[in-house]
Amino acid sequence: MNKVIAINLDGNAYQLEEGGYDALRAYLETAAARLQGNPDRDEILSDIERAIGEKFRTLLAGHKTVVVTNEVAAVIAEMGPIEADPGKAADPGVNGPGAPGKASGQAAGEERAAGHAGPPRRLYRIYEGAMISGVCNGIAAYVNIDPTLVRLAFVVLTMFWGTGVLVYLVMAIMVPVAVSPEEKAAASGDPSTAQEFIRRAKQGYYKAVKGFPDRKARREWKRRFKRDMRANADQWRHNWHCYWSEHIPIHPGMGFALPLISLLHGAAKILWICGLVSLLATGAVFGLALPASVPVWVAALLLFIAYGILACPLKVARRACYQGLGRPNWTWSFVFLLDAVVWLAVVAALLWLAVHYFPELREAVRSIPSVAHQAADDIRAWWKGK
Amino acid sequence: MSVNEKFSAIRKGLLEFLVLQIIAAEKVYVADILRQLSSTEFATQEGTLYPLLSKMRREGLLDYEWKESEAGPPRKYYELTAKGREQLRETLEYWSKINGTVKNLGQK
Repeated sequence: MNKVIAINLDGNAYQLEEGGYDALRAYLETAAARLQGNPDRDEILSDIERAIGEKFRTLLAGHKTVVVTNEVAAVIAEMGPIEADPGKAADPGVNGPGAPGKASGQAAGEERAAGHAGPPRRLYRIYEGAMISGVCNGIAAYVNIDPTLVRLAFVVLTMFWGTGVLVYLVMAIMVPVAVSPEEKAAASGDPSTAQEFIRRAKQGYYKAVKGFPDRKARREWKRRFKRDMRANADQWRHNWHCYWSEHIPIHPGMGFALPLISLLHGAAKILWICGLVSLLATGAVFGLALPASVPVWVAALLLFIAYGILACPLKVARRACYQGLGRPNWTWSFVFLLDAVVWLAVVAALLWLAVHYFPELREAVRSIPSVAHQAADDIRAWWKGK
Repeated sequence: MSVNEKFSAIRKGLLEFLVLQIIAAEKVYVADILRQLSSTEFATQEGTLYPLLSKMRREGLLDYEWKESEAGPPRKYYELTAKGREQLRETLEYWSKINGTVKNLGQK
């Protein structure tokens, strides 16, 4: 099911699928930008809108009422790129022998050949030609080098304490596979029609900004552009959300896993805080004395890193649970509430227990202000000494 | 570089005169022009043609009038002005001159 957007082309209303609307708007914005400074700009734009409307009308025979995305793309391809300055030979190769209708790929090819940067790339795993799971292949496409070099780099990395294998495993789990044509295009930076038009519109944005005569007009245009881009971003977020809630099965176990994970996370956090406090108060982590050569601040840093390593997978799992639950309704709100309550209860209980059973800890908590003062003084002294 | 590519700039420059020639024969609208050009080496698209027609109108070579179409909104039908006809005549003359030069130069 796709969203439909109603538009007005030269006084006539049409209904387009959302993707088609984006492509068309990008096309018209590019046209407007290219015709900047042309005395007939408005007339040409309304001519073009009318021509597009006429093409839409022939597509909407019978009881068909909506122009779908592919049809819009075909119409745009048939219209061809707007030539700002007809009759001037300086503009290279826009008017090739390509018959109308098959010109979209050609136009895109020319743009690329003319040295424009591709659309924004994304890191994907690419199965085609992969050796294991396409990680190296994806990286190679992303940075545009030979996949063999990337594989070699991983082998070399593996020699250092197996880092390569670790990184590879993490990426194999985290990086998505390029499945749809758009994703494949984004993986290697090749343009795919709709995205390409949006990119061109953005490019047109900068040209248009330069072309404005006064600052007020420029600011107005910038504001409008930003607003449109924000709307786009919102739409993307919305699409992602729908995608996740449709594609991830809601497992009943998640409702129980969530509080459990929170509990573990909370325990890790408490452990870290207790460790830090004991370190500051007694100079030793849970009675484990530090070697004399390790200053306290290094130990604190190490403690923090250890906590990070412990908490990271828990955080990821928690996030996954939240995402898996998708659109929250009343049941899930209850689960979230339960989650929060369990979490707070554990923190409170642990704190109480700690303070109750460890007099040193009580002492430590009391001494925190003086320790903090001491630390500040130390830092000041160290800074002066430097 | 293929011959086709080498001639792209020339084709582009000539497009204006071919459009003059097409409009000289009868009143046409843009789809007619595109159709007549589509089977030739000068096949083009609306994105090119509309800016070109606007430019030519600004130069006083042609004018248009609105005409009702059987289905849908009115269309712009283009026709040549006196200046357009004059330009077409000059161009045809010049073109046959160039043609002769191309044929005869280097021949003995």
